[in-house]
Amino acid sequence: MTRGGVPFVAPMLALSIAGFLVPLVVLAAFSFSDPAGGFGLANYAKLFADPLALQVLFDTLALGFKVVASTTLIGLPIILLFWHAGPRERSLIVFLTLLPMLVSNVVRTFAWIVILGRQGPVSQTLAQLGFIPAPRSLLFNETAIVVVLSQIELPLLLLPVMAVLSRTDRSLVSAAETLGAGPWRILATVILPLAAPGILAGWVLVFASATTSYVTQSVIGGARHIYLPQYIYREVGVLFQWPSAAAIAFVLLATTGIIMAAMAMLSRHPRLASHG
Amino acid sequence: MLNRKLSRRSVMAGLGGLVAAPMLGVSRARAAGSIVAAAFPGSWEDSYRTIVGPVVKSAGTELVLAPALAQDQLARLRASQSQSRPAYDAMMVSPGQTTDAIAHGLIEKIDPSKLKNWSKLLPAAQTEWGPNVTVEITGIAYNPKLVPKPKTYRELFDNPVYHGKVGWSGFGSNTATIAWVEIAKAFGGSEDNLSPAFKILAEHLNKGAVITSNNQQQMALYQQNEIAVFISTVGNVANLRGRGVECDFAHPTTGSPALPVALHLVKGSPNPDGVYQYMDAAISADVQRQLSMPPNEVLPTNTDVPLTDSLKSFISDADIKNLIYPNWAKINPNRAAWSAEFDRVVKK
Repeated sequence: MTRGGVPFVAPMLALSIAGFLVPLVVLAAFSFSDPAGGFGLANYAKLFADPLALQVLFDTLALGFKVVASTTLIGLPIILLFWHAGPRERSLIVFLTLLPMLVSNVVRTFAWIVILGRQGPVSQTLAQLGFIPAPRSLLFNETAIVVVLSQIELPLLLLPVMAVLSRTDRSLVSAAETLGAGPWRILATVILPLAAPGILAGWVLVFASATTSYVTQSVIGGARHIYLPQYIYREVGVLFQWPSAAAIAFVLLATTGIIMAAMAMLSRHPRLASHG
Repeated sequence: MLNRKLSRRSVMAGLGGLVAAPMLGVSRARAAGSIVAAAFPGSWEDSYRTIVGPVVKSAGTELVLAPALAQDQLARLRASQSQSRPAYDAMMVSPGQTTDAIAHGLIEKIDPSKLKNWSKLLPAAQTEWGPNVTVEITGIAYNPKLVPKPKTYRELFDNPVYHGKVGWSGFGSNTATIAWVEIAKAFGGSEDNLSPAFKILAEHLNKGAVITSNNQQQMALYQQNEIAVFISTVGNVANLRGRGVECDFAHPTTGSPALPVALHLVKGSPNPDGVYQYMDAAISADVQRQLSMPPNEVLPTNTDVPLTDSLKSFISDADIKNLIYPNWAKINPNRAAWSAEFDRVVKK
C-alpha cells in the first residue's frame, strides 16, 4: 500500500478494530476469567472435559463438512452449465444464483418448514409414489439441516467460482480437445483446476456460514441437534455463563479458523494458484 | 484534505479515540424524552407498540420497544451491569426473572404515588417492584380436529393418541419451565426434583416427541400441523385463533400455572419519569381494555376493565380458583442445571 492510500483505508481499518478486534480481545479476556474473579484456563478445561461439549464441537465441524460436500455436488452441474453458457445465459445464471440471496435466511428457513413438513410437497410426493407408507415430517434430522443449509449457502460457493471462470480463457478447452482429451479428462485436468481457487474460496465461505447458522440449525434441527451457536446461546441466555460462552465461542472461532486457513493455504498452492 | 500526510501517531490517536469513545459516554445518543422498554417478542411487542406507545407519547415520552424473552432481558442487563447505562430503561418479565433481577440489583422499587392508575389495580398486581400488567395463564394448547382434549400433563405421555403430536421445549421460557415442574410432580417429583420428568422425556424421545428450541417455533409448527399439542399461554391460543387457526386451550385438572407479567424500572435508567409514564399507560383502563380484545386477549389487572366474553370462554371462575403460583425461589437455583440436563437427555 502506498503512503497516499492510508486515508482511504483508515475508516475501514478503524471500523474493523472498533467493531471486531476490540470486542474479540474483550471476549478473549472474558474467556479466561472465572466468576470468582480469577484468571486462567478453567473455562477451557471444563469445556474439554465435558463429553457433551466435545460432541457438540465435533457435530458442528461435521455439519460444516457435510454442507460443503453437498453444495459442491449440487453446484458442480451449475458450474459446468455456466462454463459452457454464452454471455446472455451466464448473466441469467448469475441472476438466478443471486435471487435467493434477496430473501432473508430466516424467511428461507421457515419456508423449508412448509416444504419438508408432514403436509409439504416432498412428503406428499414420497407417500403417493409409495416410498413411505404415509406422509410424515421430514424435519428435525441432520439430513434436513444439510439440505436446507445447502440451498441457503449454495450462492456462496457458486459466486466465487463464477467470478474465476468469467476471467478464464475458454480456448484452453479447445486446445485440450485438439490434443485429444475427452470430456471427462477436460473436466478433471482443465475445468476443475481452473475453477479450483474459486471452489476453495467458496468452501471457506460455505463452511464458515454453515457452522455458525444459528437460525437454520435451531429451526430445522430442533433442540435435539445441538451445534455450537445454540450451545453458546444457552450458556449466555439461560445459564448466564458468560466466561464459559466466551470460551466456547473462541473454540468455535479457532477450529473453524484453522480449517478455513488450511483451505485458504491450499488455494494459494502454486499448482492451483497458477491456474487462476 | 486527503493530501495531508497521516502519521502513524495521528492514525493511532484517532483509532484510540474511536475505541475509547463508548467508555467516555459518547454513545449516549439515545434521544432525550425516550425510553427503551424490553417486551416479549411477537404479539406483546406488536400490541405494546400500537396500543401503549401512542399513549406514552401523548404523555411526552417516546417508547422504543426492544423485543426480548424474559431470560434474554436478564442476560443483557447482567452483561451491561458494570456499565453506567443499562441496556433497557424498563423490563417486562415474570416472577422467575423478577426474583433474579432483585437478587442482582438490576431493578428499583417504584414510587406508586407517581402512577395515577395505581389504585385501580388488583391488590395482587400492586408490587413494590412494579405493577403486574396481566397474569398469563398457562396450560395445554391443542388442535381439537386432531386430538382429544387433554385433561392432564401426564396424559400427554400416557395416552398413545398424543405420541408424536406434542411439541416440547427446554428451560428457556417460564411457560415451559413451569410445565416441566408440573410434569415432574405428576410423575412423583417436586419443584426441586425434576428427575421423573427427565426420565419420562427420555422414554418418549423414541415415540416421536418433537423437541423445539423455543415456544415460537412450536407455534410455527402448530400452524403447519407438524404438532397438534404444545404447552402454551391463553394469549398464544387467542393469538392463533385470531389468525383463523383451529386451536383450543385445556386447563390441566391439576391446575393451571399462572405467570404474572410485571413491568420494572431498571436501576440506572436516566429517564425514570418516562418509565413511570410507560407503566401508568400500561395499567390504564383504556389501554387494558384494548389489550383485552381479540386478537391480544390479555387478562386485565385494572379493576375498571371487565373480562370480555371471549376471555371468559378461556377462563372460568373455577379455573381461576385452581391456578398454581410456582415457587420461583425454589425453581430458580435449579434452572441452569435442569437446562444442562435437558440438553443431555434430548441430544441425539
